[in-house]
Amino acid sequence: MLKKNLGSFRDPAGQIYEVNGRIIRIIKKNGVDRYNFIKQNNLLNDCIEKGFIVSTKDVTEELKSLYPNQEYKYFLEHEAIDYISYPFEWGFYQLKDAALFHLNFQLFLLNRDAILIDSSAYNIQFKNNKPIFIDLLSIDKYREGDYWKGHSQFLQQFLNPLLLKSLKGIDFNNWYKGNLNGIDTIDLNNLLNLKDKLSFNILLSVSLLAKLDNTNKKDPNKALEKIKNKKLLSKGSYKSMLLQLKNWIETLKPKINKTTWDNYSSNNTYKKDELFKKQKIVNEFCKIHKPYLLADIGCNDGLYSIESLNAGARKVIGFDIDLNTINKAYLKSKEKKLPFTPFYLDAMNPTANTGWFENERKSFNSRLNFDCLIALAFEHHLSLANNVPLNQVIKWLLNIAPKGLIEFVDKEDNTVKKMLALKGDIFPDYNQNNFEVLLSEKSKIIKKTIITKTRVLYEFSKS
Amino acid sequence: MIILNIRMKVKIIYKLIVGYFFLISNANAYLDPGTGSIILQAILGAIAAGLTFFTNFWAKVKNFFKKRFKKNKK
Repeated sequence: MLKKNLGSFRDPAGQIYEVNGRIIRIIKKNGVDRYNFIKQNNLLNDCIEKGFIVSTKDVTEELKSLYPNQEYKYFLEHEAIDYISYPFEWGFYQLKDAALFHLNFQLFLLNRDAILIDSSAYNIQFKNNKPIFIDLLSIDKYREGDYWKGHSQFLQQFLNPLLLKSLKGIDFNNWYKGNLNGIDTIDLNNLLNLKDKLSFNILLSVSLLAKLDNTNKKDPNKALEKIKNKKLLSKGSYKSMLLQLKNWIETLKPKINKTTWDNYSSNNTYKKDELFKKQKIVNEFCKIHKPYLLADIGCNDGLYSIESLNAGARKVIGFDIDLNTINKAYLKSKEKKLPFTPFYLDAMNPTANTGWFENERKSFNSRLNFDCLIALAFEHHLSLANNVPLNQVIKWLLNIAPKGLIEFVDKEDNTVKKMLALKGDIFPDYNQNNFEVLLSEKSKIIKKTIITKTRVLYEFSKS
Repeated sequence: MIILNIRMKVKIIYKLIVGYFFLISNANAYLDPGTGSIILQAILGAIAAGLTFFTNFWAKVKNFFKKRFKKNKK
């Protein structure tokens, strides 16, 4: 049964479908020329071999007779990505790597007389800690004089969000989530001061573009006239534009504001033996269950994610609300070449079904595909810091995976005391006993380990 | 009658003019957001071409002196 992917509708040349869990791209009649070009001279195979594009094989022979339709010309099967993520769920370094990846891919293609027809950041996914391109129909033949069609989109979806964090220390994520096209150049320009604009790069790629966009809005006919009379862009100029952006983006760093969780793993209130005990339990759990895809909720810099991998988890997806720790975790994963990918998640403000028809981008809930979960030192942030009733916190966590580990932190704990210092204790039902009752109502408690007087780790299973 | 006709003509002309401008202002909505980007690329392209020329020229100058120095060393 062909199930259409609702996020794949923009390109009339072809769309993505799901067939019994397989990811199938159907190339339609008006995508045939493009696909034939991509296949020519081994271009597609080279892109796959060099790690630019997800593995793809032609399954037309197998599927064409099963799904007869005059419009369907080719069936391609793509390697499935374990966890689909969106650019507003990435940390700064993930978006930066994705931007550089996009530029490198374009440079590679240009040498083969090909280009990318758009610069959608959503066409990039993370395979562990490496960006990879998922939309082969974005590749087309380069024609002498071509302009970079995706230039404006590249700036909005990659460069501007990076600059927002790099120059102003503003995390791009929630703004990006609110405007799925990224950060508009005019908006960014309005935030920049004179000092920011002294940079030649900023002046050209942000301020001048904002000025041109503003002028063109006022007099569109004049703008169109200008474009009609434009000269062709030489391939050398196209290339040097990409290189210029690449060199610039390589130098960008996030302007860091210190956050509460920056030194969490190494914080002194977090005692070493406590940490060691928890690592041991995570290790034992993963040794027994060998998770295929483990979710580490509140992953911080990835301490327990890495422990899980050491113990036999195949792959870990980490989630945290703190973008500084997401950056740290990502850099760690990259450095150690681990199958661990951290993403930004604010459980109180998670990604919802959004975009066109509220179906184009999927919610956190509808992308859940984990077989195991660990949520250490996490539940009290929902229940005590955000007043979510304990039974709902448990329900939310149990929805993520059928089995896992959840740590309960008591009110007497130093961290909790600090949390309640100003708020006062307005949670009479928040206690270990109640937690245990609620957890056992919804699952089976397999094991209970006392970590300290105030912290207990529960292993649960829903089956 | 003649006066009315003139009035009507004025009205029609007025409507046409307003309609024309209305159509033009509507065009704003259809203007591709990439217009600024294309004009910018033309500018960047020209600068880039200039830069490439300059870098090539500079490389040639450097090579010229490098060769000179090498010859002198020999």
